[in-house]
Amino acid sequence: MFFLKEEIKVITLHPSYFGPNMREYLINRLNEEEEGRCTGDHFVICVMDMVDIGEGRVLPGSGQAEYTIKYRAIIWKPFRGETVDAIVTSVKPTGIFTLAGPLSVFIARKNIPSDIKWEPNTVPPQYTDHADQVIEKGTSLRLKILGVKPDVAAINAIGTIKEDYLGPL
Amino acid sequence: MSRNVMAHDFGSDEEDDDFNPAPADDSGDEDTKQTAHRGRDDDDDEDDEDDVNTGRAARHRAGSEDDTRGRGDDEDEEGDNDEEDEEGEEEDEDEEEEEEDDDEDANAGRPRKRRRKAGVHSFFEEEAGVDEDEDEAEDDEDELAEFGGEMHPDDMDALPVGAETDDRRHRQLDRQRELAASMDAEKQAQMLKERYGRNRAAATDAVVVPKRLLLPSVDDPSIWGVRCKAGKEREVVFAIQKRIEERPPGSRNPIKIMSAFERGGAMTGYIYVEARRQADVMEALQDMTNVYPRTKMILVPVREMPDLLRVQKSEELMPGGWVRIKRGKYQGDLAQIEEVETNGLAVTVRLVPRLDYGLNEDIGAPVVDPKRKRPGMNPAVARPPQRAFSEAEAKKKHAKYLSATSGLGGKSWNYLGETYVDGFLIKDLKVQHLITKSVNPRLEEVTMFARGSEDGTSNLDLASLAETLKNSTAEDSYLPGDPVEVFRGEQQGLIGRTSSTRGDIVTLLVTEGDLAGQSIDAPVKSLRKRFREGDHVKVIGGSRYQDELGMVVQVKDDTVTLLSDMSMQEITVFSKDLRLSAETGVDGKLGMFDVHDLVQLDAATVACIVKVDRESLRVLDQNGSIRTILPTQVANKITPRKDAVATDRNGAEIRHGDTVREVYGEQRNGVILHIHRSFLFLHNKAQAENSGIVVVRTTNVVTVSAKGGRATGPDLTKMNPALMRNGMPGNTMGPPQRSFGRDRLIGKTVMVRKGPFKGLVGIVKDATDVQARVELHSKNKLVSIPKDILVVKDPVTGQTIEMGRGRGGPRVPHGGSGGPPSAWQGGRTPMGAGDSSRTPAWGGDSSARTPAWSGMSGSRTPAWKQDGSRTSNPYDGSHTAYGGYGSRTPAWNAGARTPYGGSGNSDFDAFAAGSRTPAWGSANAGNRTPAWSGASASNGTKDRGYDAPTPGGYSAPTPGAYGSAPTPGVSAPTPGAWADSAPTPGAFNAPTPGDVSKRPYDAPTPAAFDSGSRPYDAPTPAMGGSAATPGAGAYGDGDGDDGGPRYEEGTPSP
Repeated sequence: MFFLKEEIKVITLHPSYFGPNMREYLINRLNEEEEGRCTGDHFVICVMDMVDIGEGRVLPGSGQAEYTIKYRAIIWKPFRGETVDAIVTSVKPTGIFTLAGPLSVFIARKNIPSDIKWEPNTVPPQYTDHADQVIEKGTSLRLKILGVKPDVAAINAIGTIKEDYLGPL
Repeated sequence: MSRNVMAHDFGSDEEDDDFNPAPADDSGDEDTKQTAHRGRDDDDDEDDEDDVNTGRAARHRAGSEDDTRGRGDDEDEEGDNDEEDEEGEEEDEDEEEEEEDDDEDANAGRPRKRRRKAGVHSFFEEEAGVDEDEDEAEDDEDELAEFGGEMHPDDMDALPVGAETDDRRHRQLDRQRELAASMDAEKQAQMLKERYGRNRAAATDAVVVPKRLLLPSVDDPSIWGVRCKAGKEREVVFAIQKRIEERPPGSRNPIKIMSAFERGGAMTGYIYVEARRQADVMEALQDMTNVYPRTKMILVPVREMPDLLRVQKSEELMPGGWVRIKRGKYQGDLAQIEEVETNGLAVTVRLVPRLDYGLNEDIGAPVVDPKRKRPGMNPAVARPPQRAFSEAEAKKKHAKYLSATSGLGGKSWNYLGETYVDGFLIKDLKVQHLITKSVNPRLEEVTMFARGSEDGTSNLDLASLAETLKNSTAEDSYLPGDPVEVFRGEQQGLIGRTSSTRGDIVTLLVTEGDLAGQSIDAPVKSLRKRFREGDHVKVIGGSRYQDELGMVVQVKDDTVTLLSDMSMQEITVFSKDLRLSAETGVDGKLGMFDVHDLVQLDAATVACIVKVDRESLRVLDQNGSIRTILPTQVANKITPRKDAVATDRNGAEIRHGDTVREVYGEQRNGVILHIHRSFLFLHNKAQAENSGIVVVRTTNVVTVSAKGGRATGPDLTKMNPALMRNGMPGNTMGPPQRSFGRDRLIGKTVMVRKGPFKGLVGIVKDATDVQARVELHSKNKLVSIPKDILVVKDPVTGQTIEMGRGRGGPRVPHGGSGGPPSAWQGGRTPMGAGDSSRTPAWGGDSSARTPAWSGMSGSRTPAWKQDGSRTSNPYDGSHTAYGGYGSRTPAWNAGARTPYGGSGNSDFDAFAAGSRTPAWGSANAGNRTPAWSGASASNGTKDRGYDAPTPGGYSAPTPGAYGSAPTPGVSAPTPGAWADSAPTPGAFNAPTPGDVSKRPYDAPTPAAFDSGSRPYDAPTPAMGGSAATPGAGAYGDGDGDDGGPRYEEGTPSP
């Protein structure tokens, strides 16, 4: 689910950057570091705007300035039960690896309808029900997230296509 | 019969949930009655009393029913329907009720006091009319007596009451039988179900309350304890039962006792009889063997009645469980239960036999009376050790006692009347001959049983066994907070979280449904853990997947399928063996080893752990082969170097965490886990085998993406490159020279000593002279803190580390060269620092310099190579050689040897002491080499040195110097060194000349020396060539390698 979240980030600036473009530097830096970041809990999709850049504070001893920036960002936090569209990245006998945006979702064999079977002899290998449903690398899938496992800087999820209206699009 | 009666009346105390119910409707009625009672006896602990009163009501009903049954003439039918379980009995009762109705219809002469209404109402009335009923019971008896009086004595015993007055009952019975016979069994069952299904449902609802109210009271029949012959209790009870069958309650001369039972065990020598009057007991037991009703009978106090009937839950014996033998040859031995007979009294156990196969039989021994125990021969003490049965040994002496039988499960042996299967003794034993409690099997005992497991392997999974033994109690698998579900019993379907466990009772807090928020106790047996798909769980035991982490993909009843995090494989386990896990990533650990760790197997082999089993590790070594090793086979664990850098096929820098792809072959890709020399260990999540680990060569990969997209923009915490471009950064500002290199505090774990952050621990991210930027562990925050209030701590042990300022400081800066830090620098720097004179020496040549150089070359080389072999060889070699030679050599030794000899660290100290330098200085100013070669003549000269001394040096000393010993030593290492250093030369042309001497030494030597140390000629040309004039350039090269250029470039790290 997508949220608009207000967050805070501290950026330190070398004195050589002090000057008219300071703000620009900060913003670039922020965008660079934050956008696409995964906290283990959510993905930062896009930094919307700076609410407050604040006053820099010079650090004694080094001369660097510290800025506490408040900004708003669109984040995506995947939830259990959420239905997402994903692209198959690889197909293995154990299941299907997919990518839903930045999130990698694994669909275990148990969570694939029983009529869609592993077909290793085709090129590329695929899951298919020998009718209109073929799942191979690159296929778009609609899946439901079953569980989300947060990691330090990544999120792993498992999903299912064993329900109505789920499966290859 | 008496058993049935017993079961009915005193079932109140048993644990049985399904037990005969006073159906739901009772309770309401009883409540009213209860209140009535309460009004009457409101004294002390009469909560109990209430129970008793109401209990009596229920009991009484049961009692009267039993009367009825006894009176009933429908024995056949009862036989048909009679079932062992209570439900069956329930049905019986009801049926009997109906028949009773008929009965009463028939007995028109009798007052119809006890007309029962159909269905539930009958219970109401009965309960309400308890008191009356009781009287009536006596009345009945009286009546019976009367009738009996009028009957013909011959018929009396055999025929039921009333039979002589009316034959209608006979006809009715016939009709019923016909009807029953005409219906097929299925229909019958259906009918019964229809009729009584409702009652059962009602029963389950209302078990709780009435059970407590069923306790006996003074109005109930009393229980007498009667002496009997010890050990014959059961016999007596059976005798009583038989007697009751002969003289049923409805008959002419009935036995008027309600029940009889024995308690065995602690109460041997007594049987208990329940009856209204003592006289009834006397009568019932009259002329019975083994029982002595004439002796003093004990009247059991009402209060103690329940205790008398409390069933002690006997240890439930399960096949596979462990017991010990109480006595006999196997006294104290551990045995495994193979099979438990249904009555629970006898078990078949598996034992490790103690046999001597007749080997210790003393044929000439005097025949001893078998009844008399031989003095000092305790069979339990002098017994053969436990060993698997061996038919070969048995055949040796006891072939006649041995016979083979082949059964389903393979071959078994019969030896001396006992059965042996798979080397184990299979024995049937009575439960009382076994110790079933606190068996505490020891691991080594269990090991004996595990041997010869089905796969025949002898490597036993000790750890898992130990674990199973420890975990055999079920309750500890529930921790507070576990989501659970009650799947059987009264509270079936409740969902909650455990809040506490005590013994095998779990208190759970209901989270869903009507009872949400309440705490409820439930036995472990009736609980199962509840998981949802997507839960992250850990296998906690009971299966071979222990410690596996994964995500639940399917839940079916109490089996859960999960997807292992590591292997991406589906595992199915029982939910009781799972626990929710908050851990991420850490899969099994074996001691210090973890999956994905890099370990050194031997000097040439490293491997990455792909799986941690309980006792062994599966590793993927650098050659791509999978091996299974024991932890002891691991030489050491290589601590990951996150800053290791390698270059890929295209020369691009690759680091830990980058994603790379194979160029050839399978084009596998993955994230770099480890960089080891030219090998990369990659992790590919989409690969199931080897936990996704792949090993590739650096030259065979290309970068796909750098780690997390390293920030490409300018680093704002560093100098602005834009400014750099504009002006000469160095000139314009020249930041205050830091005292030395990188602050040693950076990266250290520190604790704050005072101030608002006192006590907090963090990691120093940056530091100036006085301040440090500390990232606090607790707050995820960077704060600036004065350095002097920081204490450096060991990140693991938490111990304070002294960061002495000693000489470390000034030593670190290695001249103005400021080359980028590289692998070999570590070794080198201290070296340079070691002799403070180095930097200057660098600038000038002359005396100061050479020593410095040599010093460097000496200590540097090892650093370079980073393999000990080289370092030691040359120096040792040279030492010895020198030691043995000429006047100078001793000096040399004194100076040089010490530092060298200490190879490695001690080296520096020696250096610092300066003992060496002087020696060198004195030895030769310009040219070390000559000195080395042992030519004292050359020493004096400096610049000239190369020209003049060298030849001289060579010519003169060589023969001696190159004596067998030193040469090989020298020659051996050098080539290697040079090969490595090859690139540098160019840089050094200029300075080198001075050093020439050294060069020849290294470079040419091998050839020269190898060919023949003595022969002067052979080496000389080569050497001469290189050494003297022409060599200058060449030497220069060599020297370059040796010293400076390398230094500055900092490039070559082998």
